[in-house]
Formats: sequence, structure tokens, C-alpha cells
Amino acid sequence: MRVPHLVCPAGSLPALKKAVDHGADAVYVGFKDPTNARNFAGLNFTDTQLAEGVAYAHRHGREVLVAINTYPLAGKTAHWHRAVDRAAELGADAVIMADPGLLDYAARTWPALRRHLSVQGSATNADAINLAYECFGISRVVLPRVLTLPQVEYVAAHTPVEIEVFGFGSLCVMAEGRCALSSWVTGESPNTHGVCSPAAHVRWDQHGDTLHARLNGMLIDRFDKDEPAGYPTLCKGRFDVAGDTYYALEEPTSLNTLSILPELIRMGIAAIKVEGRQRSPTYTAQVTRVLRAALDAATQERYSVRPEWQRELTAISEGHQQTLGAYHRPWR
Amino acid sequence: MIRFFSTLPAQALPHLPEAPPAMVAAFVLNRLAPRLWQEEDFAWLSGRAIRIALTEPAIGITLGHNGRGFVALRREGDVTLRAGWQDFLAMMRQESDPDTLFFQRRLQIDGDTELGLHLKNRLDATDWDQLRAVLPGPLAQWLGPA
Repeated sequence: MRVPHLVCPAGSLPALKKAVDHGADAVYVGFKDPTNARNFAGLNFTDTQLAEGVAYAHRHGREVLVAINTYPLAGKTAHWHRAVDRAAELGADAVIMADPGLLDYAARTWPALRRHLSVQGSATNADAINLAYECFGISRVVLPRVLTLPQVEYVAAHTPVEIEVFGFGSLCVMAEGRCALSSWVTGESPNTHGVCSPAAHVRWDQHGDTLHARLNGMLIDRFDKDEPAGYPTLCKGRFDVAGDTYYALEEPTSLNTLSILPELIRMGIAAIKVEGRQRSPTYTAQVTRVLRAALDAATQERYSVRPEWQRELTAISEGHQQTLGAYHRPWR
Repeated sequence: MIRFFSTLPAQALPHLPEAPPAMVAAFVLNRLAPRLWQEEDFAWLSGRAIRIALTEPAIGITLGHNGRGFVALRREGDVTLRAGWQDFLAMMRQESDPDTLFFQRRLQIDGDTELGLHLKNRLDATDWDQLRAVLPGPLAQWLGPA
């Protein structure tokens, strides 16, 4: 049975090294600009750092995937094309992209550079994936997190393209590639500016023991004393709906698929992805170590989730709970 | 240092002048900068003030950058990062990740979130192994495994 590749996040060179050291098969990264969906102040890679990261990963027999997964802004496509060129020139093993124009550019300009269809490409069915395969020769697709486990299996069985699914990390409303929610209050959206809640718009106000989260001045959540906080995204805010204040869109939760790894392996899933390029090297090390151990164990008979894995992942999770997300939802 | 602080009555600490520890911190950072941050000009910190504060006792230092080096400042921080000293130590030793501490309400960020995020990401991108290589053995060991 083939063990899926473990694909781990790195927002910096030390995080990339931690991922490699702790057993990631591939590390995904981004440049310091809006060409990727984690465009945070001080995060991500310069060309020099990427070259060093690629050399480090290759020396250990691992891969580096470069996310160029936002949609080019009108009049600025040259900047996105240049990002593809830089990834290719610096020795990346693949680029992760969502925009069809960009996929086309990469396929024509760098045919030998593998192309992965990003989760932001929002391809949820085999027809969409196969179209991207025929048009742009994608070798892998990252499935959006809206699919149930039987749907993942169905899609995997109906495409020649490798399937990558999310295995761990913060969840969002999962309207990947189509989410414009934050632009309602900040004028900026993840698909165009590479960030859900630009930090310049975020304010954390402490009122006694209560923490107020504000996005561009708008109160989006209040956390009582010792209540776990989450990322300041609009989708995870609590809102007054008809007199009731609650998580009207999405609760801050983390996806955790440890319990279904054997099923994912049986389906022939090619890669398991960990969310969190915005997190520290410490997180990358912790989560990579746990997922590596779990994936290796999941190919053995009588696999069970070890309590210490669960404990370690719970400690670093966003929100109150961990879930299987859509994988185990009854919807169709 | 920790032992020295623990022998002082806790209520006295907030009344001690902040300038000496802030100046020591700026001095140490300036000595480390050529080794740790060769490619960084800290333009994002120029003219700004970051305050690092302990939850209890209520003490802290404020630092900035004047384009040439780190400087101790005597004003409010544009952003204040506040946590217990154990949590600051755990972050320095890379045992805890700041987002985790934030989720657990053990790390507070008041003021300019972007400035605080920039600092966090800059520290994350720092290759601390280079520091370990020049520190005396026990201190390098204390900083944790490479």
C-alpha cells in the first residue's frame, strides 16, 4: 500500500527545515507578495531563502512546492508570471495554482515544471479536474474541504490526476477560491490580496478580562476570560442574528483526520496536506512529527489513533474543537 | 537574573527604572544583528515602538530601530506584546508557538497588530542555530535543541 506524501507548510526557512527534519515528504511555501494566499507581514520567502530551502530539501530527498495560488490583479499579470518564472528558476518541484490563465502560462513556459491545481481552484468534481488536466496538464489536485469521504473516493476513482486532501489545520467556511467575505469590511479578499484578514485592519482590544476582536473597526467577536480565541476572520465571528448571538457562519475549529487515515490510504490518496504557513516553525515541527508517525502507522494492520498524538494536536489547534469537517457530513 | 528578580519584592519591580534593561536589550540585539539578520534593514520598525511586557509583575521594555540599530525608547509601544515570563521563555526556546499561546489567551497583542505580526514572523524566520553556534555551551543548551 502506498503511503501518501505528507505535505507540510512553511512560512520561513527555519520552518521548512523543521518540516524536512521531522519527516515531511514535501514542503509548500510562498513568495513575499500577494501571489500566494498567506501574504502576511514578514512571512514567506525571498529568492535567496527559497534557493537555500530547495537545496536543503533536495539534499534530504524531499520536494518544495511553491504556492502561486491567488488570482492576478488586472494589469498586474506580469508580476504573477514572474513568480512562476522565479519558482521554476529556483528549482521548485511544482507550482500550486488556481488561475486558469496562470496555469496556461506555466504549462507553455515551463512544461517540465509540475502543476498542482490549488484548493483555491475550487475543483470539487472529476469533470472540473479532468478539464484542468486536459487543458493544463495538471498532475495533482488539492481537493476543497467541502467533500464527504465517499465523494472524495468517487472523485479519486474518476480522474487520472493525483488527489491531495487536507489532513490537519484550521478550517474556514470552505468557499475556497470564491470567498469575498473579508472584502466586505476591508476591501481586500484572500483571492486577490492573499489574506483573509489583513493585519493592518485587525485590532485586539482588552476590556478587563474580555477580549474584543475588531476588523476595520467592526466588532466581530468577544472572548470571555479564558475562552479560547481564534483567528480574526469574518467567517468565524459571532453575530447577532434575530436576537441570538452565535457563530452564524462557522465556528473556529480545526480539521483532524488521524482517525480516517487508513480510509484515505485505501482510496489511493496521493498526498495529505497540513494547513498553516502562517504558523511558527515550532508548530510545523510538532504537527509534522505527529502526522509522520500516524501516516507510517496507518499502513499497518490494527491502526489506532494514539492518545499522545491527539493531545499534541489538540494543544496547537485553533478553536474549541477538532472535527472531521465535511469528510463525515451527511450532505450530498 | 531570574534568581535576582525573584529575591526582590514583586511589588517593587514596577517601580524600577526601565531604561537599564531596555538599553541592555538594545545593546545585545545590536551585537547579534550582523550575525542573525544580515539581509534585514528593519525599515518596518523604523520610527515605531514595540513594547514587550510581562503580565505579572507589570514590567516591560520598549524598543525601536533608528535605521542604524535598535534603540531603547521611553514611550508607549505602537504595539504591546504581553505574556507571562514562562511563556516568553517557551517561545524563545521554540517550545511554544505564538499562535497557540494566543488561542489559549496566554499572549496578548495590543495596538498595531501588523507590527506585532511582522515582529513575530521576523523572529520565526531567524536562524537561531547561528546564535547557538557562538553561545557558551550551557547557554546554547538552555536555548533548547537545534
